[in-house]
Amino acid sequence: MIKDGKNRFSRLIQPVFVGMIYLFLYLPIIVMVLFSFNKSRISVRWEGFSLYWYQKLFQTPEILDALRVSLVVAFFATVLSVVIGTLFVVASVWKKSDYMSWIFYGNILLPEIVMAIGILSIFTFFQIPLGYLSLITGHTIIGLGFVIPVVRARFVELDPILTEASLDLGATYGQTFRKVLFPLLLPSIVASSLLVFTLSLDDFMIAFFCSGPKIQTLSVYVYSMIKGGVDPTINAISAIFLALSSLLILILSYLKVLDLVVSNE
Amino acid sequence: MKTLRKIFSEEIAFVFSCPALLWECIFLYLPLLVLALYSCFEFSAQTNSWVFTLHYYRQVFHSLYFRVILNSLKLAFTATLICFTIAYPVAYFLAIKVQKRFRTFLLFSLILPSWTSLVVQIYAWFFLLEQDGLVSRTLHWIGLIPKSMHLLNNYFSIMVGLVSCFLPFMILPIYVILDKMDPRLLEASADLGADKIETFKRIIFPLSLPGVYTGFLLVFVPVFGEFAIPSLLGGSTYVVWGSLIVDKFLRARDWPFGSALAIIGIMLFVLIILSCVAIRNLVKRLRGVN
Repeated sequence: MIKDGKNRFSRLIQPVFVGMIYLFLYLPIIVMVLFSFNKSRISVRWEGFSLYWYQKLFQTPEILDALRVSLVVAFFATVLSVVIGTLFVVASVWKKSDYMSWIFYGNILLPEIVMAIGILSIFTFFQIPLGYLSLITGHTIIGLGFVIPVVRARFVELDPILTEASLDLGATYGQTFRKVLFPLLLPSIVASSLLVFTLSLDDFMIAFFCSGPKIQTLSVYVYSMIKGGVDPTINAISAIFLALSSLLILILSYLKVLDLVVSNE
Repeated sequence: MKTLRKIFSEEIAFVFSCPALLWECIFLYLPLLVLALYSCFEFSAQTNSWVFTLHYYRQVFHSLYFRVILNSLKLAFTATLICFTIAYPVAYFLAIKVQKRFRTFLLFSLILPSWTSLVVQIYAWFFLLEQDGLVSRTLHWIGLIPKSMHLLNNYFSIMVGLVSCFLPFMILPIYVILDKMDPRLLEASADLGADKIETFKRIIFPLSLPGVYTGFLLVFVPVFGEFAIPSLLGGSTYVVWGSLIVDKFLRARDWPFGSALAIIGIMLFVLIILSCVAIRNLVKRLRGVN
């Protein structure tokens, strides 16, 4: 009997531990989102449901400007890194799959702050003003570190018989690329686009160093607001941020790309 | 790929690889060179030219700054260790104990919080831990802490922030490795008479080491460079390498000194990574001998 009790205890201890870790990860986020619907100005006392802070959010021009900057930067960084990343993968598979891939280790092995001051210093060195250009450049670097492993993993998996069959059936090389290879690569391209878009939206470090005096991204705006203390408007922005990321990650997990990223790093 | 070789010529393949390679070199590696130059050349007004100097490096080593770098290495190491201690049981549980149909959901919900902006996650803790926040008030209400006690702006709050933000990056790679492990190995080990602890020590843990190394890198690297968490959750109490760099580059505008700080940090950092790789190879070789 005693042994049975001990068994039950040891069987319970693991799920309880894991549950506590999940609580640890989720509690802050849940509380924060909950209080974004709080009526009270003093943000820690619950006084009833209201959408006031969301309303206020959309009436603050600085927030909308910051959001626009974030979206524009994320869009261009995504397009750029996906296009040149995919081209590189095609070339590297052509040359045997490990060609020059060590050059991208830097994206993973260097702390982001080093990339950030690097871009800051090179733009200043050549006297190019900071702004959209430096932000997009930096986010493209981050993006490349993700696009290349994801697309390559897919490329290497492809069955060479498919392209051979296409050629045997009379397709030209160009047609084979357009009608066979590219559609097969498309899921990984879409997935890495979403990945880079999310990363760019969420990024703080590069944005903090390289946005220059004229523009700011949403995450930098939020950072400067937090410096001023608790404000329910930040809860509302954060809740929207969270909703956006959740949506993107939902799509990503549907495309089954996450384990691909993890196993390749 | 043979077909690919027919579709493209060597020249086209070379051209394709150029944009990404150039982008990397110009915006990632060239800047490192620029930083290195900034850090060891000084403009001398007398001769009207750039003069080589190690003045800034000496300044870093002779002051409190070097201790700050060591401190943030220690902070990153501690955070990584805590992450590992928590992450391993969680990854083990998810990969081996949980039924397959719950796994995807649990994994998904694990990744979710870490994919939102870091700033948002920090704010969530800020909101929870501040003096009027939920945690402080609950603990006070239970009677665990006095009313005047601050949970924010100390070492504890920094660590909580670091661990909660980077924990998933330790869990995932370990999970991936454990999940891929052939269950027949465990059966074989049990058949050969090993108990659970023995199996874990001699089969599961050694096989999961690649995941542990990856997790170590994925946590240690960003935590070492992190400054938003120490500056928002730690207030001004705890200075780290990252916040020194922010200070020198954006506020004091002392670029040469900032560059020297950055270069020394990177060098230490590369040294650590290399020694990790060396340790890994050593472990591999030792096991090969056995």
